[in-house]
Amino acid sequence: MAICIPVITKENYPLYICSIPTENELKFQYMVHTSLDVVDEKISSMGKALVNQRELYLGLLYPTEDYKVLQGYATISKVKFFMVVNSSNTALQDNEIHRMFWKLHNSYIDVMCNPFCNSRDFDNMVMYIMIQVC
Amino acid sequence: MVPAGDLDRAPHRGKPAQAGARTSRASRALRSWRGSQAARATVTQHEKGGHDPGGHGGCRRDPQWASAGPSPLSFTEEVKFELRALKDWDFKMSVPDYMQCAEDHQTLLVVVQPVGIVSEENFFRIYKRICSVSQISVRDSQRVLYIRYRHHYPPENNEWGDFQTHRKVVGLITITDCFSAKDWPQTFEKFHVQKEIYGSTLYDSRLFVFGLQGEIVEQPRTDVAFYPNYEDCQTVEKRIEDFIESLFIVLESKRLDRATDKSGDKIPLLCVPFEKKDFVGLDTDSRHYKKRCQGRMRKHVGDLCLQAGMLQDSLVHYHMSVELLRSVNDFLWLGAALEGLCSASVIYHYPGGTGGKSGARRFQGSTLPAEAANRHRPGAQEVLIDPGALTTNGINPDTSTEIGRAKNCLSPEDIIDKYKEAISYYSKYKNAGVIELEACIKAVRVLAIQKRSMEASEFLQNAVYINLRQLSEEEKIQRYSILSELYELIGFHRKSAFFKRVAAMQCVAPSIAEPGWRACYKLLLETLPGYSLSLDPKDFSRGTHRGWAAVQMRLLHELVYASRRMGNPALSVRHLSFLLQTMLDFLSDQEKKDVTQSLENYTSKCPGTMEPIALPGGLTLPPVPFTKLPIVFQWVQGDVCEVQLMVYNPMPFELRVENMGLLTSGVEFESLPAALSLPAESGLYPVTLVGVPRTTGTIAVNGYHTTVFGVFSDCLLDNLPGIKTSGSTVEVIPALPRLQISTSLPRSAHSLQPSSGDEISTNVSVQLYNGESQQLIIKLENIGMEPLEKLEVTSKVLTTKEKLYGDFLSWKLEETLAQFPLQPGKVATFTINIKVKLDFSCQENLLQDLSDDGISVSGFPLSSPFRQVVRPRVEGKPVNPPDSNKAGDYSHVKTLEAILNFKYSGGPGHTEGYYRNLSLGLHVEVEPSVFFTRVSTLPATSTRQCHLLLDVFNSTEHELTVSTRSSEALILHAGECQRMAIQVDKFNFESFPESPGEKGQFANPKQLEEERREARGLEIHSKLGICWRIPSLKRSGEASVEGLLNQLVLEHLQLAPLQWDVLVDGQPCDREVAAACQVGDPVCLEVRLTNRSPRSVGPFALTVVPFQDHQNGVHNYDLHDTISFVGSSTFYLDAVQPSGQSACLGALLFLYTGDFFLHIRFHEDSTSKELPPSWFCLPSVHVRALEAQA
Repeated sequence: MAICIPVITKENYPLYICSIPTENELKFQYMVHTSLDVVDEKISSMGKALVNQRELYLGLLYPTEDYKVLQGYATISKVKFFMVVNSSNTALQDNEIHRMFWKLHNSYIDVMCNPFCNSRDFDNMVMYIMIQVC
Repeated sequence: MVPAGDLDRAPHRGKPAQAGARTSRASRALRSWRGSQAARATVTQHEKGGHDPGGHGGCRRDPQWASAGPSPLSFTEEVKFELRALKDWDFKMSVPDYMQCAEDHQTLLVVVQPVGIVSEENFFRIYKRICSVSQISVRDSQRVLYIRYRHHYPPENNEWGDFQTHRKVVGLITITDCFSAKDWPQTFEKFHVQKEIYGSTLYDSRLFVFGLQGEIVEQPRTDVAFYPNYEDCQTVEKRIEDFIESLFIVLESKRLDRATDKSGDKIPLLCVPFEKKDFVGLDTDSRHYKKRCQGRMRKHVGDLCLQAGMLQDSLVHYHMSVELLRSVNDFLWLGAALEGLCSASVIYHYPGGTGGKSGARRFQGSTLPAEAANRHRPGAQEVLIDPGALTTNGINPDTSTEIGRAKNCLSPEDIIDKYKEAISYYSKYKNAGVIELEACIKAVRVLAIQKRSMEASEFLQNAVYINLRQLSEEEKIQRYSILSELYELIGFHRKSAFFKRVAAMQCVAPSIAEPGWRACYKLLLETLPGYSLSLDPKDFSRGTHRGWAAVQMRLLHELVYASRRMGNPALSVRHLSFLLQTMLDFLSDQEKKDVTQSLENYTSKCPGTMEPIALPGGLTLPPVPFTKLPIVFQWVQGDVCEVQLMVYNPMPFELRVENMGLLTSGVEFESLPAALSLPAESGLYPVTLVGVPRTTGTIAVNGYHTTVFGVFSDCLLDNLPGIKTSGSTVEVIPALPRLQISTSLPRSAHSLQPSSGDEISTNVSVQLYNGESQQLIIKLENIGMEPLEKLEVTSKVLTTKEKLYGDFLSWKLEETLAQFPLQPGKVATFTINIKVKLDFSCQENLLQDLSDDGISVSGFPLSSPFRQVVRPRVEGKPVNPPDSNKAGDYSHVKTLEAILNFKYSGGPGHTEGYYRNLSLGLHVEVEPSVFFTRVSTLPATSTRQCHLLLDVFNSTEHELTVSTRSSEALILHAGECQRMAIQVDKFNFESFPESPGEKGQFANPKQLEEERREARGLEIHSKLGICWRIPSLKRSGEASVEGLLNQLVLEHLQLAPLQWDVLVDGQPCDREVAAACQVGDPVCLEVRLTNRSPRSVGPFALTVVPFQDHQNGVHNYDLHDTISFVGSSTFYLDAVQPSGQSACLGALLFLYTGDFFLHIRFHEDSTSKELPPSWFCLPSVHVRALEAQA
């Protein structure tokens, strides 16, 4: 269950954060913020391998005590997608998360390509992922 | 590494305790230690045990991260605990040493403690001196002994001394005050009690007694040193060195003793405290058991070697131990052996130490790293020299091969792998939590040196989840602070900040009786860099804010709260101001209200200032000016002492800005602060800040100051993002008078746009009918402090499409200047005449239906067809009701605008040549009064006169009268058009200068012609004097024909250039009145020609033909019998020079009475035919012959 989907820029400040309203978004902000150290480390250590292998999935970043797990995904332009997933959902497989990130990435590209910058499609995609993963 | 499942399934024979030790398998973080094999698991720090060790089922996890259970010990209980007996021992080591590092394994632990009442100050003075002796070279500097001093050490940790010998307290130094010999036995007894606590492990102990003198002191004792006081104790260091020497002797003997255990002897089984009861009743003869004993002993010997400075030896022993223990699945000790291997390797690879400062200090002043590495070698050689020392039956006697292998200690990569393995073994035991935690920390320090942050973070992540027991609040703070430091060490600043913040929050946890707000605040400040938050508002003034606004805001709120609870409201105000200034865009409306409300609460006690606040930590909080409250958009330089700002209020509520004034420099300036209240989310709002410069010079306007929510802000222009300029400078000049003008006219809402930077101070407007004049009386009041001495007035008519006739504005300055100098407070008047005279013509055929009545301007009647006298006549022919649309076009109001510029000076400023300017905008709306819709001429009876026919249209809504100088008024109803005829004398335009002055030189002919026409128009206008009057409004004005006289009409109004005059009996005969003469008398007839043209004309021939008008259309020319000419009836003129005159004389003799007319016939040469007909204006002569009066 995706509870929160943040998008972080290359410069590591939040670009977009969407979370289900029942949760405290600040908590997720702390969570993502503290994970950025690891993300930076991973991206810099992966370096060129990241580009070559097109392996954008960063995997698990931050397991927390309250059944929530942070998954990460970085684009080549170093825009990062995150997904806070409820880890009690054991049915969720790695490849599924992979696929959702891929969808998210595509949707993000669509929004960025649109000169009129209609973010509604992106919103819808985020909502779709949040619901579907539930 | 062995997979977790295999490890778990491995037989744990003879170790029933392990099942119980294995707790909370599923209670750990999901680890990705093994990449894809890692399964997802959940974590909770609060979950304690309860899981069947075998029942981990689908929830697979790495076993190395198991946690230990709780223990009810805390730092605060520590002291009490020491005095307690050892019987209620828990067998768990519960107090981790977060500062531990790998090289601590080679140290000997010495506890330094006070006995009795020793002041803290004295104790630590001695303690410091003792600590300075941290390494000692023994055996001719071939080996180095390292000492670790502690003033507190939990005895239960001492119990783990067999497991890792560096945990064993081998030395005890007690410090005590004793002032009389009487107290001595008691003091000495206390020393013994103290020794008891660590008694089982102590190699040696010392007692330092201060203050005692006398015979007791005289007796030399090895274990007691006497000093008269704390100052006079130079031999402390020497004593410590001796003490360490003695420790070394014991250590060395123990090492040799253990290393040379003979095969026949039973090797004792070394145990950790919690194992002891598990081995009861075990078969001690089994090979498995023996191997276990051997392995553990090897490990122990390795530890001792390491402590004794024999690094290579220790490596050998550790390797052997690992192999032995691995074969019997003795995991806890296997882990310890592996860790020993790691420690020895770390010491070898990183002689500088991994523990940061302490490690560096330890090595300081010793030898270079390379030398240090070499220094350990002799130890290994010693093994080679004395192989027998290691040759035992039970343990592989051939060390030479082992030495060859051991020489290559673990590579840096291997160190980490072995640490991982060791930790995974530790994690199997609940009671070894502290061991595991410390191993993690040690590994992290090594990884930090290796710059392998990712792996380090994994170790740390694991350490986070090692749950020792219910920690006390103090321990929690310590734990989080250490985690934060370690994260900082590996460059994870955000994580570090996170834990630091958690530690800060822990300082003020509700469960703490006396919350440490100061500590909390200090820790919070340290987190700022991690959240990329500086407290300098300058860093936020450029561009949009980029960062974790929500997180940063939270932190700022916490700083505000902590500083308030600290009792430092100035800090709270500063932080809150900063929050408001930098995070304004991210605050919701409600939050804005809340924040400002609390800010106002704080400032009511402690107003915000512009002073930087220095914090104890060396940090300085720069002032936070509210440059966004209100937001200043523009600076408009107005007058010398007036600056206008455009501001707006971004807040969702009314913003009260008090004490807003200018910040200036350069000139003494008296700022007059303003207070304003901006409505919620106001638009741009002009604010005028005023002040009075007191001296002359150049004043720089640098910014402004405000008080918002009780916070004083100095906002410099340089720091305003919305403003490009960096302040403006104004020259302050000597004093000048100030003029205020007021007028008789109403002010105008219509403001003029001045063309060139002039500012219009006042605008007045007036409505006038076309042709009307009005006086504008301007009152000039000197409101300044200096007399007004000089005044110049200029006017500028703003460009208008309308053609303006005559002087629009005229004035006589002399009358005003006569009242000068004008003293302060005095008033002078100045009168300006406004005269609007626009075109009165109708360019279009306004009244087309005003049909031509046959009077034509064309044609050149040589004689009048009618004898009637043409008088100004009125043809009461009302126009068809004017079409409203059309009327609309003509009632169109035209505007004229002008600027009157008053340039004045006086006082000291005048002497330096300065002036002030004041402008008055004049806005005149011109309504049409009358129109001349059509103009034509009719010849009059006299050649010197003619009739001007004007169709006058009243375009006003009032009854209007039109009059001329020579005729009575003509009444026109609204919208009525009437024709009026005016008899005018013809004009001799040639008498005007052809061109006005020298202008002609460069004016083109067209312009010249235009000017000439204008001059003629003016002449005609002044002669006609057409006036209109609206009786109902009592308004009157002129009406000018200037604009509508075309060339043809002008020609008709002009006197012909060749003027013929007929004189009968010497009298000019160009009158309506007939000249009288007597029958029978000859009448003198003179014909004169005056040439007004610029060229000579002629030759002409002139014939006088008399005739009688029968008044019925018949002219009788057959008058030979009635009139006789004396002389010729035809005259010849050769040429008339320009402006010359020639005359022909003759005489007539009337034979009968009657009315006669003389027709002068005119012949001319063919060559002069080009002369236009209008040049010739021939008079008609009427002569009445009367009976001779006898």
